[in-house]
Amino acid sequence: MATPPFIDVQGLQKSYTPGVPVLRGVDLKVRKGQSTFLVGRSGCGKSTLLRCLNGLESFDLGKIRVGKAELERGGGVRGKPGLKEIRALRDHFGMVFQGFNLFPHLTVLENVLLAPQVVKGLSRSEAEEVAVPLLEKVGLKAQLLSYPAKISGGQQQRAAIARALAMAPEVMLYDEPTSALDTWLSDEVFEVVRQLDAEGMTQIVVTHELHFAREVAEQVVFMEDGVVVEAGPAAQVLKDPEDPRTRAFLRKLQ
Amino acid sequence: MMSARAVRAFGAFLLAMILSPALLFAAEQPVLRWGADCDGGAPYIFRDPDKPERLIGFEVDLVDALAKKLGRKPEFIQNQWDGLVPGLKRGDYDIAINGIEITEERLREASFSIPYFHTYEQISVRQGNEAIHSLAAARGKVAGALTASLAERILEEAGGIESRSYSSQTNLYEDLANGRLDLVLMDQPVAVYYADPDPRLRSVGEPIGQMSYGIALKKENRELLASIDRALKELKAEGVLRDIYDRWGIWNPLMAREFKDTSPSRPARELERYLSSRDGFSGWKSKLSRYSSYLPLLLEGALTTVKLSVLGMALAVVLGLLLALARLYGGPVLSTLSLVYVEVFRGTPLLIQLFLLFYGLPYLGIKLSPLVAAVLGLGFNYAASEAEVYRAGILSVPQGQADAAFSLGLNRRRTLRHVILPQAMRVVLPPMTNDFIALLKDSSLVSIITMVELTKVYGQLASATYDHLGLGILTAILYFLMGLPFVRLARRAERRASQGWR
Repeated sequence: MATPPFIDVQGLQKSYTPGVPVLRGVDLKVRKGQSTFLVGRSGCGKSTLLRCLNGLESFDLGKIRVGKAELERGGGVRGKPGLKEIRALRDHFGMVFQGFNLFPHLTVLENVLLAPQVVKGLSRSEAEEVAVPLLEKVGLKAQLLSYPAKISGGQQQRAAIARALAMAPEVMLYDEPTSALDTWLSDEVFEVVRQLDAEGMTQIVVTHELHFAREVAEQVVFMEDGVVVEAGPAAQVLKDPEDPRTRAFLRKLQ
Repeated sequence: MMSARAVRAFGAFLLAMILSPALLFAAEQPVLRWGADCDGGAPYIFRDPDKPERLIGFEVDLVDALAKKLGRKPEFIQNQWDGLVPGLKRGDYDIAINGIEITEERLREASFSIPYFHTYEQISVRQGNEAIHSLAAARGKVAGALTASLAERILEEAGGIESRSYSSQTNLYEDLANGRLDLVLMDQPVAVYYADPDPRLRSVGEPIGQMSYGIALKKENRELLASIDRALKELKAEGVLRDIYDRWGIWNPLMAREFKDTSPSRPARELERYLSSRDGFSGWKSKLSRYSSYLPLLLEGALTTVKLSVLGMALAVVLGLLLALARLYGGPVLSTLSLVYVEVFRGTPLLIQLFLLFYGLPYLGIKLSPLVAAVLGLGFNYAASEAEVYRAGILSVPQGQADAAFSLGLNRRRTLRHVILPQAMRVVLPPMTNDFIALLKDSSLVSIITMVELTKVYGQLASATYDHLGLGILTAILYFLMGLPFVRLARRAERRASQGWR
């Protein structure tokens, strides 16, 4: 490849309890504008990888580079990473969670307004100029003033996507965004993911919904036991995998 | 030429000019601050049942006469009886006078004037009980006395008598009348006011023991002690003391012996007036008008209670929140400090904490005013409980909420302020309301550090009027009414904080 990847993860290692590693040296490269789907069994470390990327989890060893920001642990680097380093990494990402994690005490609109107002210091009307079009884009024009508990799960997840987009991230991270939703509601959410992909957003999606990966993914990464087993174009990894472990995984799912 | 009249007028004017500073000086009489507990009841120092804002009693008359002799203006300072001598040390007042018996223990803590009154312990029994006429005849019976009084010691030393401890004479005689006690041993002046007028009771037997009341002063205050002794001698020689004791009906054989004055007593006008006023206090009409005359005093006490509680709670809320945050996010040192604070303040009685703040700190050179000590005591104590409530509230917010806020770029402080605390609020409000109501009621404890709040006013009025039931109900209603607005306020806040959940 001529141009260096936008996201470059090298040799990432992490354990929650000493001696029980969750990530055992993960390498991952993501080009700008690419949608990458992380697949693998539950507990293979894909969610942890995602959380390490935006600094919600620390890691023990390895390197993460996003654009110009870099965070390295272990080897010659000692001590905890500073808040500044984590922030520099985190600022590139927007994140969508399995459980939506909308703020229940705020309306849908207020959920989206909060970070632009508090973090970027925008006025309410400036923030609304950002938030309202985003909410319209994800199809929540009628739910602006509803509280999260009053709308469907699909609507909640779309609101969460709008909330993340309001901070104008360069990369969107999705941690099993539809696991808590039924098929119809999942489609609503993935429709938004598809649209963002079409607009050229860089995205990393952790999911079990392979049919959707087939449709949208440019890169599919298969993980098992804390390492990347196979990574490549969706058509290749999902239809004609090289590694027997990938094949076994796909067989189980079909 | 000026007329003779003009000259005289001018002269008078000049004279006035010269004298006026002296006149001003004379008007600014030095005060004599005297400490006493006015819920000890009649006949010492108590609220006039007819005019509850006025203090009366033989010791009030005594202080007035004494102050006149000393050329000072008396100024009354309320304190709990147990705290009278410690209050001297704090310098809250110049003298303490409230039936304080001169004993060896007390002489170690304070100096005493020559005795102004001698008295003894009096046995009282139920009307018709002819069996008990002395302590020897009271073996196997149940006797009552005031806690830590000479009477209690005498009962214990007598042996074979079951002794029960009381904190108020009205309760003592009431229990004697209703049969819970067989006899009461009590200071003679009290028996004159609470046992003798009661048709169900009578006093029997010989005087028991002897005690002498003195005026207590700080040990260093020798000059004042000397002039008080001189004044007391003069008052005795002039017959002023005798006159006071006669009017209050408490002149006794012991006094006759000690004062070498065997002349017959004159009518006890003050005793008569008090009894007719107290016993005229029956029937609903007179009761209602009496209660309404007590209302201003009770409301004043209630106002103090509200002030204390609101300030105390405000302190508890702020300090409690800081403690909870320190515990959760403060790192090992702050977290441990917060834990220790909570354990210490939650694990020790509020009463002891108040005592230490008020009477203990002066030893370290820190003298707090009663209000400040009361607010700090209540605030510090309740902060411990608030801290735990807030900690539970914060922990009840799922971790995903903080994850979402962090991923949006909010730092820890902003996450707390905009995401965690507003959600914790919903969980925290009901127990917080609970704590506030509890604090409102606990605020009655601060009377031990001289604060006159609602319960103290109740105590003073009840001991003066002998009406614990009616005043008790009235006071309870006031407490209930004070809590109501806060409960409603909390409900409203809870509704607001629950936006989105309903």
